[in-house]
Amino acid sequence: MGKGIDLLQGTLDMLILKAVSLGPLHGYGVLLRIQQISGEQLEIQQGSLYPALYRLEHQGWIASEWGESDNNRKAKFYSLTATGRRQLHSETVKWNRMASLIASILQTTPEEI
Amino acid sequence: MNLTRFRSWLKWMVKGQRLESEMETEVRFHIESRAADLVRKGLSQQEAMRQARIEFGGIESHKDAVRASVGVRWWGELGSDLRHGFRLLRKNPGFTAVAILTLALGVGANTAIFSIVNAVLLRSLPYRDPDRLVRICFNEPGVGLRDVRFSKPELDDLQTRSGVFEDATPIFEGSENVTGTKQPERVEGVNTSFSYFSMLGVVPQIGRLYGPQDFVPGFASEAVISDGLWRRAYGADPNVLGGTIRIDSDPLTIIGVLPRGFRHPGPTTSGEAEVFGAGGFSGDPFPPPIRGNRVLVHGIGRLKPGVTLAQAQARLTAMAAELRHDFPTDYPPQAQWTIEIQPLQGTLVGNVRPMLLVLLGAVILIVFIVSLNIANLLLARASGRQQEMAVRLALGASPGRMVRQMLTESALLSLIGGAAGIVTAVGTLGFILRFMPSNVPRLNEVRIDWVVLAFALLISILTGLVFGLAPALHSAKGALSSATREGGRGSGYSTKTGRLRDVLIVSELAFAVILMVGAGLLLRTLRDLLQQNPGFNPTQVVTANTWLGVPNDPRTDPYLGISGKAAFDRELLRRMNAIPGVELAAITSALPTTNPNPNAVGGLANEGFAIEDKPVESSQDLHAERIRVSPDYFKVLQSTLLRGRSFTEGDEDGKPLVAIIDESTSHKYWPTLDPLGRRVRFAQDPTKPWTTIVGIVKDIKSDGLDIDGVPHIFVSAYQDPSKQVSVVLRTSLPAALLEPQIRHEIQSMDPGLPVFNVVSMNDILDRSLASRRFSADLVGGFAGLAVLLASIGIYGLLAYMVSQRSREIGIRMALGAGRGGVLKLFLQKGIVLAGLGIVAGIVVSASTASLMGSLLYGVRPHDPVVFVIVPLLLFAVAVLASYLPARRATKVDPMIALRES
Repeated sequence: MGKGIDLLQGTLDMLILKAVSLGPLHGYGVLLRIQQISGEQLEIQQGSLYPALYRLEHQGWIASEWGESDNNRKAKFYSLTATGRRQLHSETVKWNRMASLIASILQTTPEEI
Repeated sequence: MNLTRFRSWLKWMVKGQRLESEMETEVRFHIESRAADLVRKGLSQQEAMRQARIEFGGIESHKDAVRASVGVRWWGELGSDLRHGFRLLRKNPGFTAVAILTLALGVGANTAIFSIVNAVLLRSLPYRDPDRLVRICFNEPGVGLRDVRFSKPELDDLQTRSGVFEDATPIFEGSENVTGTKQPERVEGVNTSFSYFSMLGVVPQIGRLYGPQDFVPGFASEAVISDGLWRRAYGADPNVLGGTIRIDSDPLTIIGVLPRGFRHPGPTTSGEAEVFGAGGFSGDPFPPPIRGNRVLVHGIGRLKPGVTLAQAQARLTAMAAELRHDFPTDYPPQAQWTIEIQPLQGTLVGNVRPMLLVLLGAVILIVFIVSLNIANLLLARASGRQQEMAVRLALGASPGRMVRQMLTESALLSLIGGAAGIVTAVGTLGFILRFMPSNVPRLNEVRIDWVVLAFALLISILTGLVFGLAPALHSAKGALSSATREGGRGSGYSTKTGRLRDVLIVSELAFAVILMVGAGLLLRTLRDLLQQNPGFNPTQVVTANTWLGVPNDPRTDPYLGISGKAAFDRELLRRMNAIPGVELAAITSALPTTNPNPNAVGGLANEGFAIEDKPVESSQDLHAERIRVSPDYFKVLQSTLLRGRSFTEGDEDGKPLVAIIDESTSHKYWPTLDPLGRRVRFAQDPTKPWTTIVGIVKDIKSDGLDIDGVPHIFVSAYQDPSKQVSVVLRTSLPAALLEPQIRHEIQSMDPGLPVFNVVSMNDILDRSLASRRFSADLVGGFAGLAVLLASIGIYGLLAYMVSQRSREIGIRMALGAGRGGVLKLFLQKGIVLAGLGIVAGIVVSASTASLMGSLLYGVRPHDPVVFVIVPLLLFAVAVLASYLPARRATKVDPMIALRES
C-alpha cells in the first residue's frame, strides 16, 4: 500500500459514512473508495473496517443488503440511511470547526499571544 | 440501548449462527477481491492470497471486534467461561461431588416440600372459579358457639334474601354403608342440595349428575358415585348406570360417575367422599321447614360474580341483624346469632398451614447452609487462585470480566446442583408423600409442575448467587493488589478473605442454631405427647368399628329406636365377650383421639345442654361433647372413676336417664358445687326428661392427646343410641389375630354391616400423632444435617488456615512457642466463631420461636431446656471440629515448615 498517513483515531466512521453516501458499496468497495478519494494517501488496516461497518449498522446509520458484485459474486452492500445522512452532516460540521480551530492554534506565533 | 440497536442485538442473539456465517462470507469476499486485484497487478495467485491475508490482519480478532461492536461478544465468552468452568469442576472431583450432592439435597428438599406447599396452600381449588367458593358459618358469639346448625328458611335466606350468593348448600358428611357389592363397605358419603355439582362446576365421567331439575322435598332416589368406588366395587363397568346401589339400606339409582380427580371439598380425616346424594330438606323425612328446626350443617356457597368477600360479609352481617329483629323468638338477643363467610380454600387447609410453613422454613434454612458451605469451599479455592487472577488482571483482563467468569462457574455449579435437586425431588416425592400425615388435604394433587420447577430454578439461582458472589467479588477486588505481594504461594488466608470466610461460618452456625431450636421444640412437644397420660390404659386394648346406617326411610331401619339399638348392643357385647382371649368388651360412640369430623353425622360435636337449677338465659353457653358408652367402657379402658358409680345394665330405656361427667365438665360447670345428683338436659328441649349425673371420671383424651379441657358427658348407650358403634376389647391378643373373628361375629348378626379399622388402641394414639411426628422427624433430620454441615465448615476453615500458615507456625515454634500456644491459637479462632454464630442464632430464634407457637404442646416457645441444650451441643461440636485441625497445627515440624518455603 505504500507509505501513507495513519488514520486519525475516530475518523474511520466518518470516512465510511462519506464513502457510502456516494452510493451503495460492499466492504472492499468502501476501502477502495476511501483510498481512491484520498489519493491513496491513507493507511487503513483492512480488517478494522468491518467492526466499524457493523457498529455503524448497529447504530442504524447505514443499512446492508446482500447483492451481486461486479464479478458476479455474492456480497454485502452498505448504503447510507436517513439518520446516517444527518449524522454525516453533523460530523462534517463538527470536523470542520475542529480542523479550523486546531489549524488556527497551530498557526499561532509568539507575537500573537 | 435504543430500539434500533436492540433489534440489531436481538437479531444477532437469535440468528447468531447465520450472522456468523455471513460475516465469514463477507470477510472471504474481501480477501479474495483484494487478492484478485493483486493478481491483476502481477502477483501469483498464491502470493496474492498471502498478501491479502496479511493486509487484512487477524481475522479472528477482527471478528471478535465485530461481535463486541454489536454487544454479543459476551455470548461467545459465556461459552468459553462455561467450558472453563466444566474443566475446573472436572479437575476437582472431590469438591464437585460434595457441592453437587449437598446442593441436590438442599434443592431437592426445597422442591419436594414446595411442591406439597404449592398443591395444598397455593394452588387454587380444582373447581370452577374457586375464588368465589366460601364456607358459611352460623355463629352465636354471645354464647361462645361457632358453626351452629341452621334451618331450611335460613338456607333460603342465603339464596334469595341476601342477594350475594349464586348458590348455597348444606353439606352432610358421614359414614354410609354400601351393601349389595362384594363385601359390605363403610364409605364416606355426602348429602347436599341438588345444586352441589353445578355450584362446583363438575362434569361427570359417565352418566349425569343431579341438578336443580331433579328437586324433590325429601331425599332424592338418585346417587352419584366416585371414580374410586366405581373401580373398586364395580370394576369400572359402564353398565352400572341405572343400577341400584344400597346405601344405608336405601335403594338408590346410580346416575353418574364422577371424574377421577374430583374431590369433595371437605375434611379428609376419614378418607374421601365416595357416595353423593341430594335432598330438598323440606319434606319427609326432614322436619317441617320452620326457622327453629335447625338440622342443616356445614354450609358452602358460591358468591355472585363481582361480589367481593368483604361486600358479601357486610351484607350477611346486616341480614343477620334484620333477621334477629324480625324473629326475636328464634334468635334470642344474648346469642348474637350471625353469619360468617371464609374462603373455602383457607378452611380446608386450616391447621396444616403452620406445619407446612415450618417445613418450608426448615428446607430454606438448609439450602442457605448448603450454599454458605459451598461459598466457603469456593472462597478457599479462590484464595488458591489469587496468583492466577492477579496475572490475568495484570495482563489486562477487566475486573468485570473476571467477576463474570467466576459467576459463570458458580452458576454452572448451581444449575447442575439444581438439576440434580429436581431429580432428587422427583425421586423422593413419592416417598415423602407416603409419610405425610393423612390429615393434610389435597395430597393427591401434589405434582412437580412448572410452578414448582420455577421455584426450583429460583432456589438454584439464589444459592448460586449466595455462594458465587463472595468469591467472585473477592477475586476481582483483592487479587491484583495483594496476591503478587503476599508471597509466591499465595498465603490464602489474607485478612480480606479471612473476614469473609469468618462471616460465612458465623452465619452458617447461626442458621444451624435456628433449625436446631425449631427441631428441639418440636421433638420436645412430641416427647411430651408420647408421655401424656391419655386418662386410660391403652395397652392390650383392641378396637373395631361398624356403622349401623341411617336410612333415609326410617321404616327400613332394623335398629330403630332405643330398644332396637340396645338389643343390638347387648347381642354384640355378648358375642365379643365370648371370643376366646377377650377379657372384657365395651361399646362407645367415639374412640379416643380418632378425631372424627365434628360436622359429620354422628361425629363428636359440642352440643348445648341445660342445667336444671340454672336460669335458661345463662344456660345458653353450656356445651359438652356427648359420648354414648356401654356399662363396662371405663372398666375396659381402666380409667379412674373418681366418685359416684359407673353405668349398669339397668341404665336402660324406661329407667331414669343417667350421665357420667369428666373432671373438665365438673370444674367448668360446677366449680363450687357437687355435681353428683344434679340434672342436665341435652338440646335444651323442654319436652325431654332430665338426666341425672351419677358419676365423675378422670378426663379421657377423647379429642386428641394435645387437646385438653373439652368437657364431656358420657351417657348410657342403652338409653341414648348411636349409629356409630366402636368396640373396645381388653385382650392380650393382637388386633390382626382378632379381626377375622370380630368380622365374623358382627356379620353373622347382620351380613350387611361393615367392619373397619380393627387396630390396637396404642396404634390409634400413635396415628393421632402422625402429623407431629412427621414434622418433628423431618425438622430434626434437617437440624442434624445443618450441624454436620456447620461443623464441616468450621473444620474446613481451620484446616485450611493451618495448612496456609504452616510456615508461620514453624517460625513461631522455632522462636520458642509451645505446642499449647499453637493449639490455643487455632482453637480460640474456632471458639470465637462458634460463640458468635451461636449467640446470633439464639437471638434470632428467641425472637422468632413464637411463630411456632401453634405447633407446640406442653412446651413454651422459649423453652429453657431447648435454649440451653442447643447452644451447648453445638458448641461442643464446634470445639471438636476446631480441635482436630488445631491439633494438627501442633504437629508441624518447624524444620520442614521453614525449609518448604
